[in-house]
Amino acid sequence: MPSIQKTFHVTKNDFIHAGEASIHVKNLLKSLNYVPDLVRRVAICGYEAEMNLVMHGGDGELSVDVNADRIIVDVIDHGQGIADVELAMQEGYSTAKDEYREMGFGAGMGLPNIKKNSDEMVITSEQGNGTHVKMVFFNKGLNV
Amino acid sequence: MKDEKGGPAHCFVHFESDLCTGCGHCIKRCPTKAIRVRNNKAVIRHSLCIGCGECIRICENGAITASTSELDSLHSDKITIALVSPVLYSQFPGVLPKDVLLGLKNMGFTHAVDMSYYFEMFQWATAEYISRNRKTGESPWPLISPVCPVVLRLIVCRFPSLLPHVHPIMRPVALMARDVMSQFKAHYKIEDHDILLYYINPCPSKMGIPKKELGQGGIHSTGALGINDIYAELSRQIKHTEKSDKIPFAQAGFEYEQCTSGGGLLWSMSGGEAEATGLDKTLAVAGLNETITYLEKIELGLFNDIEYIEFRTCREGCIGGALNAVDKYLAKSAALKMAKTLGVGTRLNRERVLRLYDSNWFFPKISPQELKKLGGKKEKTFSFDELRKIEEIVGIIDGKDCGACGSPDCRTFAEDILRGDASPHECVYLKIRGITDENILKKIKS
Repeated sequence: MPSIQKTFHVTKNDFIHAGEASIHVKNLLKSLNYVPDLVRRVAICGYEAEMNLVMHGGDGELSVDVNADRIIVDVIDHGQGIADVELAMQEGYSTAKDEYREMGFGAGMGLPNIKKNSDEMVITSEQGNGTHVKMVFFNKGLNV
Repeated sequence: MKDEKGGPAHCFVHFESDLCTGCGHCIKRCPTKAIRVRNNKAVIRHSLCIGCGECIRICENGAITASTSELDSLHSDKITIALVSPVLYSQFPGVLPKDVLLGLKNMGFTHAVDMSYYFEMFQWATAEYISRNRKTGESPWPLISPVCPVVLRLIVCRFPSLLPHVHPIMRPVALMARDVMSQFKAHYKIEDHDILLYYINPCPSKMGIPKKELGQGGIHSTGALGINDIYAELSRQIKHTEKSDKIPFAQAGFEYEQCTSGGGLLWSMSGGEAEATGLDKTLAVAGLNETITYLEKIELGLFNDIEYIEFRTCREGCIGGALNAVDKYLAKSAALKMAKTLGVGTRLNRERVLRLYDSNWFFPKISPQELKKLGGKKEKTFSFDELRKIEEIVGIIDGKDCGACGSPDCRTFAEDILRGDASPHECVYLKIRGITDENILKKIKS
């Protein structure tokens, strides 16, 4: 089955360009004519993961692998890693710095929001070795 | 690509090929990539045009004009009614709105009706809808203002997932056209086709009001005139007055011509509509690029803590429309002064508005999905295989989006090649590297 892969670089603390990778992914899916609801879900999750990387991670990449059946988004960073993944998955839990909270981030809803909007989600993280968030979305209402 | 012939709903601009030098400035400005240069002349796909007027602004040769109506019919035996956007008043600094309306009548309109009354209607209905939506959750936040038709077409064309966010109340101009028609029909005891409505327009996007949008049908004819079309003649007709006596708010009645208010003038500027909602959680965004950036972000799930967003694709709001005669900053100064002179206030009977609200008077009989038919169609999408080939061609070109080929950027050029709308030899980058049509076409067929 033909598929398309793309990778975007995401830079730590770069709030000016934060979100651009997710917009690219969103527009790629639109040009492939996926149903709007699926595009919306991928966009929301991609953005949450991208912002996590900008705020907590280190420099890293957002990659997307698309075919007619499913969309896989991998967000990989080389930052400090998550100490307790289970705790991080709880709504309202956040380690965001005060300065980020002042910008309206850090409500502790990022990872739970990804969980809610994706069909499959796997986080692998090791303290000191970065984090890998893998999200899978199945294309049920095929429009491609 | 041929210059398509479209119906009135799909024909906002007109390209005069004799005046076009093929400079290509317009192809880069178009937000829906509807324009190409072919055989050294700009051509447009009307089906993709959303009527934003950016190409009119950028063209140095005056080759692009708005497709407005002809004024000839003013002196026919029909009743002609000007529907006046308050933007018009901002074009005549120091002149009272009632004198501008009088000037229109001197020009030959049977009646000139001010829109601010309908802005108030819209604003009441909006406040009501939002307060009910807090309980029902019928529409997702943020609601997107339906007032600027370019924004609606932009959403249909590029952001279809945001259609459920579009505020479902009828636009003030549509409320106005429907109401004015029925009031004057009853007054003169005549039929629809004996009345001609003309919308006096600051932008090319509102060329007539589609019957479908009015919901009730039966509107025989609505035309549109650009402010710049009538400016010279209207200036001659307006009697300047030194007196700046306040105009009393007329009660809802037949005296439309008296119904101007300062509030209406505020609507012509960015932020006026958001302010009029009286809500805290609102935003006002103006400018085409700014609007696109915000729509992109709403699609990422941002701004869901905002209840209502006013979008205008023209800088500074409607006073920045491409068909105005006076620069937006001068117009803004004039409008603010006049708003102060006239005073801002409301004059509607809330209970009457609520009765109308509950009788569904404010709701169009079309769903967001049907909005698609009102203009701004989506380009045909590509299959996976085609998209891979497009990516591959973009990689081979490895260009700088120069636009010399006549397409706005390398990617669109590659898409045009796949559509059979362009040939590889038109690209200077491919030519320099000696890559021929055959090399590329072989890749497409593989």
